[in-house]
Amino acid sequence: MSECVWVHTHTHTNTFSLIQAELMCVMMSSPVLGTLCRGGVEGGVGGSARRCLFGSVDHEELQRDYTLLMRAELQDASRRWNFDFIANKPHVGGDIEWVVLPEARVPSLYHDCTVGPVPRPKGAGPASDLEEDDVPKTPERCEGAEKHTLKRKQTNITDFYQAKRRVVTSRKSGQ
Amino acid sequence: MELYCLETDTVVRARPDPNLLGDDRVLQSLLTIEERFLPQCSYFKCVQKDIQPFMRRMVATWMLEVCEEQKCEEEVFPLAMNYLDRFLAVMPTRKCNLQLLGAVCMFLASKLKETRPLTAEKLCIYTDNSIRPQELLEWELVVLGKLKWNLAAVTPNDFIEHIVKRLPLPEDKLDLIRKHVQTFIALCATEFNFAMHPPSMIATGSVGAAICGLQLNSTNHALWGDNLTELLAKITNTEVDLLKACQEQIERVLMNSLREGRRQQHKQQQQDQNNPRNKALNDQDQSSTPTDVRDINL
Repeated sequence: MSECVWVHTHTHTNTFSLIQAELMCVMMSSPVLGTLCRGGVEGGVGGSARRCLFGSVDHEELQRDYTLLMRAELQDASRRWNFDFIANKPHVGGDIEWVVLPEARVPSLYHDCTVGPVPRPKGAGPASDLEEDDVPKTPERCEGAEKHTLKRKQTNITDFYQAKRRVVTSRKSGQ
Repeated sequence: MELYCLETDTVVRARPDPNLLGDDRVLQSLLTIEERFLPQCSYFKCVQKDIQPFMRRMVATWMLEVCEEQKCEEEVFPLAMNYLDRFLAVMPTRKCNLQLLGAVCMFLASKLKETRPLTAEKLCIYTDNSIRPQELLEWELVVLGKLKWNLAAVTPNDFIEHIVKRLPLPEDKLDLIRKHVQTFIALCATEFNFAMHPPSMIATGSVGAAICGLQLNSTNHALWGDNLTELLAKITNTEVDLLKACQEQIERVLMNSLREGRRQQHKQQQQDQNNPRNKALNDQDQSSTPTDVRDINL
């Protein structure tokens, strides 16, 4: 231990040459540097990095926290966009005026979201079908969406922007 | 005639673009916007009750290990730490949810930076299945909301090429210098003390520490002690004194990390002496260390 005393210096050079010799044998066992120098363990998941750090997670509490946070987020968004996302209609008055558009007039990206094997409504035209295929489904939409239908409705705020055009009169968007 | 598919698993990379790296406006823009992505406050004092600095280091070390094991791009880890710090600066969080947050931040950073991002399932396995993929995806939304969807944060890694390019460095040492700078940047990201520093300062300090550590300054007058610091300070418009302090701080963290390593090694050796079978395993492990790793002199 004693061969490696940190000396405060402005030139740095001496200090580093001091440690250089013994560095390599030590580096591999340092939690951070060792990781950086080994360049990772070959193979799949489940090397030494696989571990639970702070004990078991209370899944119910996590779910409660999540629901509360998303509700707060939604209320915040409702105020900001002057739109009741739960009832799916605009608030009366306010800075932002909402105009209803027929679904055919907006890109398929903004059409109602269909999940999993539910057949896509026909008649949108071949062009929009192509577009729809190009839009990658996020995993959360495919997985367990049926189970969490109610919650999903709350979380995907973008689902509610479809078929509408907003007219901003005085507010800066996103504020 | 047969058709072969020659696509392999190697990652295809764009060449360094001289139009971007040579244009001073790019560096100036990075310097202008970097402050926007700093955490809003020193959250251990004003926001968090349950979480303490050593827990941040624990989760950071774990995240770094996952990123290394999965061979993520270099900037994924510092970017994930930026998300983590920004989230913790605005949201009181329970200790038992800190690893979930770390996983979510890696998930997001990897999606932003990589062509083949980490999957939710993989990340959950790395938590030893203490969290579920569904939870990871739900909390992804929470984190995104708290970060206001501003994910393209400036990281210290964004500055490396800009700085290195403007220094009189030997061409044959550039790769080694980059490797060392990236190591120092990752090391800084594990330390909360650096979380409030602008990324440009961490990058500049890391380059300085790398050059001194590799003793490249012994051959070129322009890279001697104060000359180097002044040169570096000018490139990123950093104050000389602040930069000096930052570089010294980086070197101190490096020393501490090495000391910690030595302690762990010592502990390991003691354990090995008590268990001869472990010793044999360990010897085997060390001999399989790639030789190029030994060539790195920090």
